[in-house]
Amino acid sequence: MKTLLLLLSLATTSAMTFSQTISGVVQDKSEQPLLGVNVYVQGTYDGATTDIDGGFSFQTDALSDAILIVSYIGFKTQEIPLMSVSQPIVVTMREEINQLDAVVISAGSFNASDENNREVLKPLDVVTTAGTTADVPGALNTLPGTQRVGETGRLFVRGGEGRETKTFIDGMLVHNEYSPTAPNTPSRSRFSPFMFKGTSFSTGGYSAEYGQALSSALILNSKDVAGSNRTDISLMTVGTDVSTTRSFENSSLAGKVQYTNLTPYFSLVSQNLSWDKAPQDINGNFAYRVKTGKSGMLKLYTNLSTSRMELYEAEIHDPEVKVPVEVANDYAYFNANYRDFVTKEIGLRTGVSITKSHDFAARNMASRTRDILGFHTKVVADYQHSDRLFVLAGGEVIGQNLDQELNDGEAFVQGINERMAASFLEVELFASNALAFKAGMRGEYSNLRGDFNFDPRISAAYKTGESSQVSVAYGSFRQLTADQVLLNNESAAQEVAQHYIANYQWVKDGQTFRIEVYDKEYHDLTRFENVFDPTTYQFNGSGYARGIDLFWRDNKTVKNMDYWVSYSFLDTKRDYQDFPGSFTPAFASAHNFSVVTKKFIDEIRSQVGVTYSYASPRSYHDLNSDEFMSGRTPSYHDLSFNISYLYSSQIIIHAMVNNVLGINNIFGYEYANEPNDNGIYASRAITPPAKRFIFLGVFITLSKNKGINQLPNL
Amino acid sequence: MIMKRTILTLTGIVLAFFTMANGQFERALGKNIPLIFSSQSSEELQGVINQLERISAAETDRWESHYYTAFGYLQMSGMYKEATDKDKFLSLAMDAVKKGQKIDADNSELVALEGYVIMMQLVIDPGTRGMTHAGAATETFYKAIQLDGKNPRAHYLLGRMKYGTSQFMGGGTEDACKSLNVAKELFESLEPSTNPILPSWGKGATDEALAQICK
Repeated sequence: MKTLLLLLSLATTSAMTFSQTISGVVQDKSEQPLLGVNVYVQGTYDGATTDIDGGFSFQTDALSDAILIVSYIGFKTQEIPLMSVSQPIVVTMREEINQLDAVVISAGSFNASDENNREVLKPLDVVTTAGTTADVPGALNTLPGTQRVGETGRLFVRGGEGRETKTFIDGMLVHNEYSPTAPNTPSRSRFSPFMFKGTSFSTGGYSAEYGQALSSALILNSKDVAGSNRTDISLMTVGTDVSTTRSFENSSLAGKVQYTNLTPYFSLVSQNLSWDKAPQDINGNFAYRVKTGKSGMLKLYTNLSTSRMELYEAEIHDPEVKVPVEVANDYAYFNANYRDFVTKEIGLRTGVSITKSHDFAARNMASRTRDILGFHTKVVADYQHSDRLFVLAGGEVIGQNLDQELNDGEAFVQGINERMAASFLEVELFASNALAFKAGMRGEYSNLRGDFNFDPRISAAYKTGESSQVSVAYGSFRQLTADQVLLNNESAAQEVAQHYIANYQWVKDGQTFRIEVYDKEYHDLTRFENVFDPTTYQFNGSGYARGIDLFWRDNKTVKNMDYWVSYSFLDTKRDYQDFPGSFTPAFASAHNFSVVTKKFIDEIRSQVGVTYSYASPRSYHDLNSDEFMSGRTPSYHDLSFNISYLYSSQIIIHAMVNNVLGINNIFGYEYANEPNDNGIYASRAITPPAKRFIFLGVFITLSKNKGINQLPNL
Repeated sequence: MIMKRTILTLTGIVLAFFTMANGQFERALGKNIPLIFSSQSSEELQGVINQLERISAAETDRWESHYYTAFGYLQMSGMYKEATDKDKFLSLAMDAVKKGQKIDADNSELVALEGYVIMMQLVIDPGTRGMTHAGAATETFYKAIQLDGKNPRAHYLLGRMKYGTSQFMGGGTEDACKSLNVAKELFESLEPSTNPILPSWGKGATDEALAQICK
């Protein structure tokens, strides 16, 4: 027993008196000393912080088999057995790749989210930009790379047609994403910006995950589980809506019902069109989100709407003759989305979307009925091998059943069932915080032509300084040709575009500068003499679009004021459709420019916004000229103004007016089908449906939490 | 007899070890707490935070050192001007809060500090983050009060949050002042704690806020 006690006391004394000094230096890969590194012995308080020369030195009673921990923000923590090193210890730290510091591949993409300070645009911007009336495509139209095509309201990106931009919600494709409108009047997106926490608008070179879009992908990410209950009521000159959000422990339910009726507005403000029944629309949005398990999230979303309008349109050859026009649409979109982590490194996303749309358009005695049943299902796995290597892999099936009936006394029925299976793989590699590469491949099988296609996409980014970076991207993109062509010829070739992009970006504390140059080469475009005559189809059209996009944003220089300036130069020509050679299409304008400003004025408790937009003249084909596309429209100008006044903490009054200057904008000309007796085709200018649009609304929020109102929504 | 004595001695040694270890934690933390408030440069403060992190790494069942690590990073974010830097340190502060909450999930002080971090994230970009962060911060402060209605710091922070909201949205400061006065009363009525490592900051800040906002 005595021996035991002796041993014990010996052991304790030796453990307590064995004291040594540990010293050394900590540096990075390039042997620069690191200041402020935490160096300590595991399981004890013994340690030190490195000085300006990276040096450290401290006393410890630790046993010789102890482990030295070296940790520093932004670097990988190192564990060094003291036995394995001799003093002084030299520690070389390896950089850790982290989201805040790492370079981001920015070529071609504009991101809007709350999560990162370096984002160019915030979700809020979509709804506070004057002249856009809370329309996502409308707000994105103030960014460079887009073309103003006032008669459609759609996103035309870098010399691409409207249909070359596809919309995805939580990764799932949306068919027929715009609300129906009267001929030559702008449409709006069906989806309210308030539902989304982030938007990624890509003007080219996007991920291999997204296919069937030649020019652009608009990726909307919906909000997660809501934290509080609230109800919002909006009373507007164009209608009313009510929305409510209920929050439960791990889930939330949100619903919004909107009724739009333009009858009262049209009776007050004169319109260029003679309306019989002004547009009426009922739109319902419902979203359910639930957290499952530790890290899973299930999102269900549905959008249901029905709209009708009737008007009289003058015949071009004789404006005295009015023919009835009717437009109606019933629409349902459903989207289910689930994501979770299988292990710490492997994440899984899966989703399904279904679109059902019934379109009816009639003019005089002729009508067109179109039924679309679209579906999309997708599985994506992402694997984080280390903080330097990410892998994304997935597969999807996209389908569309399209049935069309043309009727001018006699019914002509056509239908087509498209099925597409695709798989994609993408690898992202960070050589350091300053250098990143991404390589992807997308393979697609289409049932219509029965062909396999592979499209590579590669990009890289390099951080040139604390606040600046350059990035480049190349990618191959393809898309089925126009629906009308496919209906006549199922095996029509897909159209292809090659994107080459180089981008420089500088972001610092509230200021952003971007310049991007690009070249887009089109191949296999559909050519025809007459779109209704499939024997004239050829799939060897080509074209190009080249340009420069500039963007400057600043919310620092003037207090409470935020502004951005966009300029795009576009040089594009195409030999496609019925063009007799290579010409600039009618939707393209060489110069697009816009300035958006927003200022909060404390004295009047109001946010005021002004937006100016300019587009240079567009071409149109003058039927009375021998030369193709010889016509030039005047240039386009718009000055819009909005104001949001905080009446009380939960009531906001909002007013907006566009084209304050009352400029007569002309988007192009349309011509009569037949020449008159003098051999001249009668023509009519395509103009906005009214000189100005004026919007007034009162927005009321009911919530226990008085800090919440609809300001972020305006 | 000898056996008994041996066991007694052994128990004594073990006990001595324990109390020593215990005292060591309090001593080490107690030494560093004032340094968080007195550090003049980010380098100096990083040194203090490093010591706190060493303590946290060794004491896997104590939330207090995580609390002060988080508090240190909150101070640190205030020393920087750029939003990205502020965000970096606030996210480190949030990490420390979460580590503490793993040890003590329903700790009113940690929850109040969590709300504080959210509030400071909000301040960086109120226009954009207001929608998500304003509600979250307010709710977190209420949760801290629910966990311990006598936590003066939770009331003080809620008062500041209410004031910020009234500034941004319009409306009076009465509501904010109500919370600040509750905090003041609690600070004054509180018996000085015998435990020097429990959070005790905020009295001066409350008085200052009351003097500025609620005259």
